[in-house]
Amino acid sequence: MPWLLLILPLVAALVTALITRKNGTLSAFISLGSVGATLAISLLMVLRKDDASPAFTWIAAGDFTLEIGLTLDALSRGMMVIVTVIGTLVHVFSLGYMEKDESKGRYFACLSLFMFSMTGIVLANNFAMMFIFWELVGVSSYLLIGHWFTKNDPVEAAKKAFLTNRIGDFGFMIGILMLWGMTGSIVFSEMEGGAAEAAAGHGKMFGIAVLCLFCGAVGKSAQMPLHVWLPDAMEGPTPVSALIHAATMVAAGVYMLARVSFLLSLTDAAQVIAWVGAITALFAAVVATQQNDIKKILAYSTLSQLGYMVMAAGLGDTNVAMFHLYTHAAFKALLFLGAGAIIYACHHEQDIWQMGGLAKKMPVTFLTFAIGTAALVAVPFTSGFFSKEMILLTAYEGNKTLFVIAAIVAFLTPFYMMRLFTVVFFGEGRSHHAKDAKEVESVMKLPLLVLAALSVIAGYGFVAGLVFGDLVPHEQVPSIVLVTSLGTLAAGALLGFILYKGKTQEVTPIGFIREKFFLDELYIVLVRLFQDAVGLLAKMLDTHVVDNIASKGTASTVAGLGSLFRRIQVGNLQAYAFLFGVGVILVVYLLVFA
Amino acid sequence: MITLNHYLFVSGLLFALGLSGVILRRSLIVIFMSLEMMLSAANLSLVAFSRFHLVDGLPNYNGQALVFFIITVAAAEVAVGLAIIVALFRARQTTSVDDITSMKY
Amino acid sequence: MMPAYYLEAAVVILGLVLMVMEAFVEKADKSLIAKMGIVGLLVVLVSLFFVSGPAEGDDAPIWSFYAVDPMALFYKGFALVTTILVLIMSLDYRSVLQHYMGADQEKPGAGIGEFHYLPLFTCAGLMWMASAKDIVSIFVALELVTISFYVLVAFMRRNVGSLEAGVKYLILGALSTGFFVYGLTWLFGLSGETELSKIAAALGNDDSAMVRYPKALLFSLAMILVGLGFKIAAVPFQIWVPDVYQGAPTPITAFLSVGSKAAGFVVGYRIMEPFFANHVAPQLVTLILAISGATILLGNLAAVAQENFKRLLAYSSISHAGFLLLALGCSSSTTSPVNVEGVMALYLGGYLAMTLVAFHVMCLVRAQLGSEDLSAYKGLSKRSPFLAGVLLVAMISLAGVPFTAGFIGKMYVFLMALQSRYFVIIALAVVGVGAGFYYYLKVVRAMYWDDAADDQSVQISTLSKVAMLTMVALIVILGIYPTPILNLFAA
Repeated sequence: MPWLLLILPLVAALVTALITRKNGTLSAFISLGSVGATLAISLLMVLRKDDASPAFTWIAAGDFTLEIGLTLDALSRGMMVIVTVIGTLVHVFSLGYMEKDESKGRYFACLSLFMFSMTGIVLANNFAMMFIFWELVGVSSYLLIGHWFTKNDPVEAAKKAFLTNRIGDFGFMIGILMLWGMTGSIVFSEMEGGAAEAAAGHGKMFGIAVLCLFCGAVGKSAQMPLHVWLPDAMEGPTPVSALIHAATMVAAGVYMLARVSFLLSLTDAAQVIAWVGAITALFAAVVATQQNDIKKILAYSTLSQLGYMVMAAGLGDTNVAMFHLYTHAAFKALLFLGAGAIIYACHHEQDIWQMGGLAKKMPVTFLTFAIGTAALVAVPFTSGFFSKEMILLTAYEGNKTLFVIAAIVAFLTPFYMMRLFTVVFFGEGRSHHAKDAKEVESVMKLPLLVLAALSVIAGYGFVAGLVFGDLVPHEQVPSIVLVTSLGTLAAGALLGFILYKGKTQEVTPIGFIREKFFLDELYIVLVRLFQDAVGLLAKMLDTHVVDNIASKGTASTVAGLGSLFRRIQVGNLQAYAFLFGVGVILVVYLLVFA
Repeated sequence: MITLNHYLFVSGLLFALGLSGVILRRSLIVIFMSLEMMLSAANLSLVAFSRFHLVDGLPNYNGQALVFFIITVAAAEVAVGLAIIVALFRARQTTSVDDITSMKY
Repeated sequence: MMPAYYLEAAVVILGLVLMVMEAFVEKADKSLIAKMGIVGLLVVLVSLFFVSGPAEGDDAPIWSFYAVDPMALFYKGFALVTTILVLIMSLDYRSVLQHYMGADQEKPGAGIGEFHYLPLFTCAGLMWMASAKDIVSIFVALELVTISFYVLVAFMRRNVGSLEAGVKYLILGALSTGFFVYGLTWLFGLSGETELSKIAAALGNDDSAMVRYPKALLFSLAMILVGLGFKIAAVPFQIWVPDVYQGAPTPITAFLSVGSKAAGFVVGYRIMEPFFANHVAPQLVTLILAISGATILLGNLAAVAQENFKRLLAYSSISHAGFLLLALGCSSSTTSPVNVEGVMALYLGGYLAMTLVAFHVMCLVRAQLGSEDLSAYKGLSKRSPFLAGVLLVAMISLAGVPFTAGFIGKMYVFLMALQSRYFVIIALAVVGVGAGFYYYLKVVRAMYWDDAADDQSVQISTLSKVAMLTMVALIVILGIYPTPILNLFAA
C-alpha cells in the first residue's frame, strides 16, 4: 500500500501530461483524485501506525547495490499527512484559482509531479533515492514557478530558483558521497549504525561532510546565503506558493535534517547549522517589515520561520523543528491561500498599499486570515503558540545568544504581520480593484476554513500526537520563556497596529531594508565578476588548447580514420570475399599461432 | 595405409580450393559452385572423423547424421541462391561480380 | 504446461497455413496474412509463459539437443517480439514493395504475400537457435534462419539494390557457413560428440583429443568464430553489413540487425562457454577482446561520415556487436553476481527496442517521403511530432544517455570490463561512445533544428503507434529498472 503513495501521483502526472492535457477540467479532477486517495492512505497509515518498510533491489552491480525502499516511521508518516493534507486543500483551491487559466492541464500535471517527488523525498530510505526526488521537486518547482512562461519575471524567477538550488544540491551530493565513504552505506538505517564510528574516526572531515549535507537544506529551505530564490519564486501561481514555497518543499531541508538527526548530534558542525538558521530568521524578519508585496511579506515570513526550524534542528532538537514545521505548514498555507483569495478578488493586485478595507468585503477571508495571522504570531491557544514556545525553549536551553535573536524575531513577526493585516483589511479601499473586491467562491473558501480550523487545533496534543506519535515534544516551559513570548507578541502587535492604523503609505521607509540589504545586487556583481574571470580563462583555454590541439586534432583523426574505414567498403563482392579470407587468416593466426 | 590425416589433408585441400574459387572467380555461378565445394570438404572430413572414431566397434554415426543435414541444407541453399542469381540476371543481364557494385562506402 | 518445442511447431504450422492461404485465397487483401501472423505470434508469445522442460526422468531424445533454460526462453520471446514488430513494419512498407514488385492495377498485392509469412519461418529458426545445444541442431536452425533471410533480403526483385544486397548476402553468408561447418566438423572430430554438454564434459578428460591437440581445437574454434562473427557483424567479418543493410527492404534490415545478431550471440555463448574455463581460455579471450575493440572502433568511426540513415544504423549495429563481444570476453574473469548472460540479455533487450523503433520510423519515412537519406529527416518534428519523439528516444538510447536501456546496457558492460581490468578495450570503447554521441545526435539535430523541404506530413497507423510506444516504454523501463532481466539469469 505505501507504494500507492508514489504510484498514484506519478500515474496522475503522466496521464494528465500525456493524455488529458488539452482538457483542463478533466486533468484537474484526475490530479485531485490522486491526491485525495493519497491523503486517505496517509491517514490510514497514521491511524494504523504502519511501519512495514518495503524495499527491493534497483540496481545490483558487483559489490554495489542500490535499493529502492520506503521508510515508514512516525516521522515520515506524519510528514506524509502534512504533505497530502495541504496538497489536497491546495488542489481544491486551485480549482477555483486557476479556473480560467489557459494551461490548466499543464498546471495540474506539474502539481501531480510535485506530489510524486515530494512523496519520494519523504518516504525514501536512502540518500540516492532522496537525492533523485530532491532534484525532481526542484524540477517541478521550476516548472510551476515558470507556469506563466510568456511573462519575463516568472521565467527569470524559475531560472534563479533552479540555479540557486543547484548550488546547494552540489554540496548535498558531495556530502552524500563523503558520508557514503565514511559510513559505508547510503541507507539511513544502516548509516545510523556506522555513524558514531565514522564520527570518531574522521573527526573534522565528518563535520565537513555533515555541513555539505546541510548545503542541500540551505538551498531547498532557502537559508542564508542561498535564500534569494524564495521571494522571487512568488512569481508562480499563489496556490503553488502555498503548497511548495511555504508548506512542503521548502520544509524538505528541515525534514532531511530530521531524517539524519543522528548525524547532527555527533558533531560540533551542528552549531553552524543553528547559527545559519538564527541569522536567516532575523534577517528575513527584518526585511519583511519593509516589503509592500503581500506575497513577498509572506515569503520573508516563511524564510524567517524556516530559520527557526533550522536553528532548532541545529541545536539538536529535530522534534521541535518538525513540530514547528507541522504547525507552520497549516497556518502558512492558510495565509498564502488567503493572500491568493485576496489577490484573486483584487484582480491580481499584490501591493498592500493598493488594498485596504477588505475586512467588510471578504468576511470569510478576513476571518480565516486573522486566524492564520494569530497562529503565526503565536497568540496563545493557537497552534503556532505551542510550537514557538518549544523553539524559544530550545534556544533558551541551547544557547543564550540564539535565544536573544529568537526573541527579537518573535517581536518582529507580530510587528510585520500586524502591519500587513491593518493595511490590507482596515481603512478605505485605496484602488478601484480593492473597492470592488468580492468574496471568493466557495470552492476557494472551503480550503481556507479547513486550514483555519487546523491552524487552531493542530498544536494540541491530541491532534499532534495523532500525526507524529511520540515525536511531539512535551516540556514544561519556564516562565521566562513564556514571558518573553507573550511580551514580544504584545509589543510587536501593538507597535504595528499603532504605526500603520489608517495610513495610506509607508510611515518609516528604510530603503536599505526594503532592498533586502542589497544582497541580490551584491550577488549579481559577484556572479558577474566570477563569470567574467572564468569566461576569460575558459576562452583562453578554448582557443589555445581545446580548439587547436584537442578539438581539431581529434576531429581530423576521427574523420580520417572514419573515411579510411569507409574506403574498405569498395562495393565489389570479390573484394569482400578477399577481405573475408584475410580476416579468417588473421583470426586463425591470432588464435592458433599467436 | 591411409590414415585420418590423409583424409583431412584432402578435405583441407578441397576447402582451400573452394575458398580460392570464391575469391578469384568472377562469375557468380562459379563462385556458388566453389562454395558448395567448401561444404563438401566439411562432409568429407566429417565422414573421415566418423569412420576413424569408432564407438563400440562401429563408426560414430552422429557425424554422418550431420553430413546428411549438410547435404540437405546445401540443396536448399542452392535452390534459393540460384533463384536469386537468376533474378539478378533478369534485372541486369549479368552474373559478373564486377557489375554489381552500386552500393559502396 | 506443454513441452517447449510445441512453440516452434506452432510457429512453423502457422507459417505453413498462411502460405497455403496466400496461394489459394487469391482475392484476399495480402495485409490480412501479416495481421494473422501477428495475432498468431502474439498467442505463441503468451503461451511462452506456460511451457515446461523435460520432466524428471524424461530422457526422450529431443532433450539431448533441445535446451529449456532461462536463456532459451528469453531468446524465444526475443525472437517472437522481433518478428511481430517486423510484420507490423512490413505492413507500413507495402507501398515500397508494391512499387518494386511491379504490381498491376488489378492485383495490387501480387507477390507480396510471401513477404508476410516468410518471417515466420525465420522466427521458428531463431527460436530453435535459442534452444539448440547440439551442433547438428545448431547448424540446421542457423541455416533455416540464413536461407529465409536470403530470400527476404533479395525480395524486391525489380530493385537493383535489393538484388545486389541479396547476392552479396548470399555469397558471403554461404562462405561464412562454409567456415562454420568446417569448424563444427573439427570440433566433432576432436571430441567425438555432437552434444555441447558432452563436449564440455570431455574437456575435463585429459585423454580427450581436445586436450591433447590444443592447436587443432583452437583452429576449430577459430572457424566457428568466423561463422558467428559473420552473423553478429564483428570485425573483420562486418564487410557485408553496410551494403546488405542498405539494399534490403527496411523491415528485413531490422530483422537482420536484431534477430540475426541475437541468435548469433546465443549460439556463440552456448558453444564458447565451456572453453572459457579451460586451457584455451587465454587465447580465446584475447581474440574476442581484440575483435571487440576493433569492432567498436570501426563501427563507430565509420558511422560518423554517413549520410544515409540505413548505412549509419548498419555501422551502429556493428559497434553494438563490439560491446556485446566485450561482455562475452568478460565471461572467464568476472566474478560479480551480475553474470554475462544477464548483461548480454539486458543489452540485447534494449538494443531490440531502440533499433526496431529506429527502423520502424525509417520504414514510414521511406514509404511516405521516398528516401532513406538523413536529409529526409530534416524537420521531421514538424511533419510528425510523434515519429520525431520516438526516434529521439531511440537515438539517445543508442547513444547511451542515462535513464535509457542503451545506457544501462553499456554501463554494465563497462563495469564488467573494469572488473576484468581490460583497460585498453575500455579506452577504445570510450572513444567509440564519444563518436557515437556525435552521429546519433546528428539525426536528432536534423529532426529538430533543420527545416523540412516541404510540409508533407507522415501518417501513422494505430497499430504502428502502439508498437512504437511499447518499444519506447521498454527503453525507458529497462533504463530505469533493469533488474528483472538480470534476475532472470541470476544463478
